[in-house]
Amino acid sequence: MGAFYCSVCKQTFFAGKSHIFGKKHQDKLKIVLTKFLDKVKEARRMLKAPAVEKYDVTEHELNLWCYCCGAEVQKHITNGNLTVLCGGLLEHMASPEHRKQTDRFWWENKADSKLKEKFLFSEEEMDRFKTEVAKALESYEEKEDEFIKQQASYIREVEQRRQEVMQSTLEPESESESPQGPPQCGPPGHIESSGNRDNYRRGGAGKRAGPSGADEFEDSDWAGGGLDLTFIGYQDSSSGGNVHTGATPPWLKQDPEEGGSGTQEPQAGPSHEEFLKHKEQEKLRKLPASRVGANFDHASQTDAGWLPSFGRVWNSGRRWQSRHQFRAEEGQGTNHKRKKHEPWKGSKKHKPADS
Amino acid sequence: MAGIYLVDVNKVPVYTQYFDISYIPSTVFFFNGQHMKVDYGSPDHTKFVGSFKTKQDFIDLIEVIYRGAMRGKMIVRSPIDPRNVPKYDLLYQGI
Repeated sequence: MGAFYCSVCKQTFFAGKSHIFGKKHQDKLKIVLTKFLDKVKEARRMLKAPAVEKYDVTEHELNLWCYCCGAEVQKHITNGNLTVLCGGLLEHMASPEHRKQTDRFWWENKADSKLKEKFLFSEEEMDRFKTEVAKALESYEEKEDEFIKQQASYIREVEQRRQEVMQSTLEPESESESPQGPPQCGPPGHIESSGNRDNYRRGGAGKRAGPSGADEFEDSDWAGGGLDLTFIGYQDSSSGGNVHTGATPPWLKQDPEEGGSGTQEPQAGPSHEEFLKHKEQEKLRKLPASRVGANFDHASQTDAGWLPSFGRVWNSGRRWQSRHQFRAEEGQGTNHKRKKHEPWKGSKKHKPADS
Repeated sequence: MAGIYLVDVNKVPVYTQYFDISYIPSTVFFFNGQHMKVDYGSPDHTKFVGSFKTKQDFIDLIEVIYRGAMRGKMIVRSPIDPRNVPKYDLLYQGI
């Protein structure tokens, strides 16, 4: 048995194909088929009602991975201008090679044969789909034509109005020289903002109205920008601030939908209890000040009889016991600090000075 | 690369009010969520009011804003010739 790579489990097996009957493989297979089935269902929906859209490079260059054939398939069909959604996938799934590969896949992976039919499309379905697509294309083209006609009429209208206004401004200028109010002449070459008739006032054009006389057309300044301005009304910023008053920008304001009242003041940092706990832990990290030997003065001189104030190594008693033992070992007879009981010497009131 | 968004002033009344947009088209520039101010030679530095005369003007302006922003500046000076900047009257509520 050689090495066999199972693309469902994404593992190499050296013991033949018996893993296919195992739980893991079947689970993974189920997941894979479910994912693939979702995409196929979408395509099936398109079968009944094909959608034709304008070709958009960002959206319509998708490739799908066909698990049965082990190859990438283009999802949509396009001719450069228009796209038929899911067309590529449907064509691929109706092809005989895909049928063969699907059979092989089902046999090799021992998948549920009831599911197999869902991944195959018949030739009749494809024919139906093609007729539906043709119809959809026709209707799409009709809509496009209509839209273009609308645009053309709108442009004509606007151009017409512009011409009228140009005429009207030329005539009054040549007559009068005294300044008149701007609104009377109307803005030259003014273009309406689409769908905004309520707001606009004929005060735009940068207020460079006719009265400035013949200067207007001799200005080397970019009056073109002024001609295109649309005035949309003064913004009332008394309720909130605006950028000039330095108010908070709307994108930095608190979102009224965000969270409930509990999250209104998210406290940063630990709470009081947590802080106290932390302080205790820090104290414990240091050695306790009351431990044995904490106050030991390492600089002091100790005599030979010094013993630490806990038991010696093998002792488990009190300090005096270890001291007793130490003394006995050293064989020290007398100790000026303590009177030792020496019954064999007898009790003498006066001790010799050197004893 | 600069992202350009076309916004209908009727759909965003909050922002129209915040930026005090009285004339359209007005172009507001942002970098990393920060509103960039530019001295165009006009009274309002917070936005460019009107249309651009040439594409190159627009490109140059974007580049200057980008360079200034990368250096940490919040206001830059516009490279557009003042003759090419549209003129308009900035009035406070009609006064």
